[in-house]
Amino acid sequence: MIRRLIVSVPILALVSFLLFAALRVLPIDVAAMSLPPTATLVEVEAKRHDLGLDRPIPAQFLIWLDGVRHGAFGQSVAMRRDAGSLLAQGLPTTIELALCAMAVATMLGLGGGLLLFAVRGTWLEGLGDLISTLLMSVPDFMWALLLLLVFGVLVPVLPFVGRLDPGLVRPGGTGFLLLDAMLAGRMDVLWSALRHMALPALALGMGFAPPIARVLRSSLLDVYHDDYMRQARLRGLGETRLLLRHALPNAVLPTLALMGVQFGFLFGGTLLVEVIYGYPGIGNLMVDAVRNADLPVIQAVGMSYCAVVIGISLATDALHHLLDPRGRP
Amino acid sequence: MRWARSGRVIIGGLLLLVVLICAIAAPWLAPHDPNEQDLLSILLPPAWMSGGEATFPLGTDSLGRCALSRLLFGARTALMVAICAAAGAGAIGFALAHVAGYLGGRADWLIGRAIEVWMSFPPVVLSLILMVGLGTGTDKVILAIVLVDWTRFCRVLRAEVRTVSRKDYVSAARLIGASHWQVLTGEVMPATLPLVITLVSLEMGIAVVVEAILSFVGLGVGANQPAWGQMIADARQNVAAAPIGLLLPMAAIFLCVAGFNVLGDGLRRSLDVRQTELRGA
Amino acid sequence: MSLLVADALGVKVGPLAVLRDVSFSLAPGRMLGLVGESGAGKSMIGRAIAQDLPPGFAVSKGALCFAGEDLVAMPRSRRQALLGRDIAFIPQEPMAALNPVMTVWQHLDEHLARLGVANRRARAEMLLEQVGLEPGAVLPRHPHQLSGGMCQRVLIALAFAGEPRLVIADEPTTALDVTVQARVMALIADLQRRCGTAVLFITHDLRLASDICDDVMVLYAGRPAEIGPARRLFEAPAHPYTASLHLAAPSLTGPRHALLALPGQMPGLRDIATLPGCRFAPRCQVAQSDCQDGEPALTDGVACRHSALTRQITPGPKQPLTPVTTPVEVVRTEALRRVFRSAAGLFRRTETVAVAGADLLVRQGEFVGLVGESGSGKSTIARLVAGLDRPSSGRILLGGRDDLSRDERRRHVQMVFQDPQSALNPRRRVGEIVTQSMAISGAGGRRERALALLTQVGLSPEIAQRYPAQLSGGQRQRVNIARALCEVPKLLVADEIVSGLDVSVQAQLLELLLGLRASLGFAMLFISHDLAVVRHLCTQVAVMHRGVVVEQGATEAVFAGPQHDYTRALLAAAPGRGEFVQKSRSA
Repeated sequence: MIRRLIVSVPILALVSFLLFAALRVLPIDVAAMSLPPTATLVEVEAKRHDLGLDRPIPAQFLIWLDGVRHGAFGQSVAMRRDAGSLLAQGLPTTIELALCAMAVATMLGLGGGLLLFAVRGTWLEGLGDLISTLLMSVPDFMWALLLLLVFGVLVPVLPFVGRLDPGLVRPGGTGFLLLDAMLAGRMDVLWSALRHMALPALALGMGFAPPIARVLRSSLLDVYHDDYMRQARLRGLGETRLLLRHALPNAVLPTLALMGVQFGFLFGGTLLVEVIYGYPGIGNLMVDAVRNADLPVIQAVGMSYCAVVIGISLATDALHHLLDPRGRP
Repeated sequence: MRWARSGRVIIGGLLLLVVLICAIAAPWLAPHDPNEQDLLSILLPPAWMSGGEATFPLGTDSLGRCALSRLLFGARTALMVAICAAAGAGAIGFALAHVAGYLGGRADWLIGRAIEVWMSFPPVVLSLILMVGLGTGTDKVILAIVLVDWTRFCRVLRAEVRTVSRKDYVSAARLIGASHWQVLTGEVMPATLPLVITLVSLEMGIAVVVEAILSFVGLGVGANQPAWGQMIADARQNVAAAPIGLLLPMAAIFLCVAGFNVLGDGLRRSLDVRQTELRGA
Repeated sequence: MSLLVADALGVKVGPLAVLRDVSFSLAPGRMLGLVGESGAGKSMIGRAIAQDLPPGFAVSKGALCFAGEDLVAMPRSRRQALLGRDIAFIPQEPMAALNPVMTVWQHLDEHLARLGVANRRARAEMLLEQVGLEPGAVLPRHPHQLSGGMCQRVLIALAFAGEPRLVIADEPTTALDVTVQARVMALIADLQRRCGTAVLFITHDLRLASDICDDVMVLYAGRPAEIGPARRLFEAPAHPYTASLHLAAPSLTGPRHALLALPGQMPGLRDIATLPGCRFAPRCQVAQSDCQDGEPALTDGVACRHSALTRQITPGPKQPLTPVTTPVEVVRTEALRRVFRSAAGLFRRTETVAVAGADLLVRQGEFVGLVGESGSGKSTIARLVAGLDRPSSGRILLGGRDDLSRDERRRHVQMVFQDPQSALNPRRRVGEIVTQSMAISGAGGRRERALALLTQVGLSPEIAQRYPAQLSGGQRQRVNIARALCEVPKLLVADEIVSGLDVSVQAQLLELLLGLRASLGFAMLFISHDLAVVRHLCTQVAVMHRGVVVEQGATEAVFAGPQHDYTRALLAAAPGRGEFVQKSRSA
């Protein structure tokens, strides 16, 4: 377990280096872009030297790393701000959204899985299978658009732009709006934030719940074939107890493994959902940066995505290790 | 052939056949050139609704382009990308999975680490970044998807290859003098091939979605080629005025992806059953 | 008053009968053995009692009563109340029968809570001590941290926790090593006496059942062939099938006798329905013409019209087991060592020494048996000698040389694998499989060679067109052997190739191997845990314990006068010596 933790640091470093190198070999001249169009060649060269772009790539990476240590992620070429501060604004927003979406996906997924399992052997099983396959064919960004259409435009009950009603001021603090609002006691801000988060979180949740439901159901089916279930039944234990105490603790393990992978995809899905709903997180930041070829921001935001995904996979592994005694000697 | 009789395979196959026909016959079925703009007839609703015109059966977008024509030609883009990208990603994933799973040891470790590193990037993010470097265009989109999604194949296949390689009949083949290549092609690959077919079908659905996302963001196949994602982006700007324009490409994507998913699901079930039939008694 | 009574019980799946006319009665405190080969239906009886029949199976006829109550018609709630309390089960695979995410304590706590026990901790500790386990060490453990024998003891503790009136043990020792097996059987017998429990002991091993049970019932094709006191069935069997089972099993003590290799196999479900008369008649040595006229009824405990002829049954001519005199070596290992490294902790790498310095010798034409329990390293040696693995240190000399090319090695030694399921490629036909080496070396005449090989191993030629899934276990094993013999190697390495096969099928294969040895003259390294089989087949035996060869020599000499303690323990634990029953009953 500790091994995994220690190994993930070089992985993160490797990932950021690869990203860095990939971006540097692109035929995009960061120096020219950060100067006004009237700049002369000499000025561009000077700027290049200034930014250290004439050094070999590994050296540039080390310089960048050093900067990161001090919290400086480089200057955004499109907006005249430090990439780090842009990140600090957007990252908590996205993480908050992703967490709420994961909660939604987990509830819907586990509930759906149990439901599918409960109707096994009946005609409803085929129907459930069909519905889950069709639901899985709707990607998360399409859920976002669909929900926007239905609940934002056709039957306007929920807002679909931005994070707060205009006019409300964000309380400062951690950057996690829900938390800040609760800490500051501003219920109106909290309510507004929740309403704005509803559609994006639901869209992501709907996109990622069906696979979870399927895996839980198939894990339960597998577990029910195992010998220890039969033996427990022969000791006279009732079906409810068998399900809750014997089957679920075993079936949840492969489900958890899938959920870890899914969360990685979900976090990537926040990008498009933020674009569709105008949600001010790192998704929108990334799309703008990509459109403007704003390399420092791309680097910083790309790294954050990776760091979060690696963190999630570590957390999932830890949880799995905790719940599964078979890993221990 | 038992798998051809599976309900899912038939339904999925039919859905995809419809899309395929639309794609191939687009030049003959489409009433207009998909890129032709008619600025006098922007945002028209479909012909059966009030305000619609018969010349534009499904309405127009914000630049007056015929929605039906763009849908049909968009099918071409979608299928082209789907088939090429899935084939490419599948080929790379298949090859590397066999190297890793069969040889084990260092090769397995290395490829396993590579997959881990690759999968730290959310696929959407990685494909976006790649498009920054590659630029727009159909071939670039295909390349981006291949580079991102080979890991999906490799992960699943690697485990399967490992299981098959541990079987005694593989050791037996080595004992009677087969070279590694002969063992791989004669014993291992026939066992892993059914899984690849299923994965390719599912991957084609994923490729359609990724292409749509890239086009939506503006980094897809380029402005000159009709793409469903681009139709969505356009319609979204005017969603209050013309919601149908949003629903049409969404429905197209859904049908396409559902077709691939149902087909893949059906293949997996029927090929799997055949395996257990051969194995068990 | 009988505790468990079956009266003409019948179980069907669809239109096919799995059990027919099963009648027996079990009194409290007695042990009844249900003996049958695979497919005879013995497990179905246990499942019928628990009403835990697989989907599609149902009791179709007759009655099954427990203490006067009808088990089949019983309401579910009543049955659930009985299970675990008055009726308990001991399963076959101990490790799989315990929930992997629960500790032993959690299992016991849950069960005792259901039984309504007050002071559960104390009671759990007492139960574990009763089965010979140390509570402090075992209670906090998970199943994967315990050995197979320890898991089985936990399951026995769970079964006897409620002081049941009936315990059904379904092959409880099949998955265990022979020394552990003996201890577990002693434990069951001991607890049975203490609690006065009736035990239904289901097994495929007639010898084991005769050792410990009071009465034995032999099943054939879903119907009882013979039922009676264990002693009588062992010493003077009345039904031809029982006698054939006896003669098919090699013996560890007494003179080495020829094995009766019953032709064919037990009829499958469909055949059972269509055969006229006695289902055993097609394979019976003393079948008469009237055996075809309807099935014989069970009278005086025997279902045979001509039971008087049973004692005329003889095995075929004895295959000689001539010792080998040539000094020509086929394989010799010197100080062979194999260490497995696994990356466990962060910096530690645990080392498992599978083989720690083994010296073996096999001469031309000689069959050498390698015996030992699980974990002794014998399978590792098999793989090392066959060339599938490389030793960590030491030498392997094949034909006096250790520098053979791959080609030469291939012609010198071949391997026959244990599990026919994974040893034959399910996608290839049998004819292709047996001549696969010819495909690789590019030789011609494959079809003729395939047919010749199949005939040599006693299979009919049309099998060449079939796929492995369409063959029985015994047939698959013959194909396995045929493939290895394709290029007539000098040495065959056979890793547990007859374990898991029915006794009658095992006898066929053993006689086949002896016959092939006489005609082809190859040597064999025969790995097995079954001492009786090794005694029948091999002139030399090597005993392995914890990676070391502790004793080696001529088979009869070693078994008659073992030098090493471990060999003595192995021999003492082997069933079929007739001493076990006396030991435990006299106490």
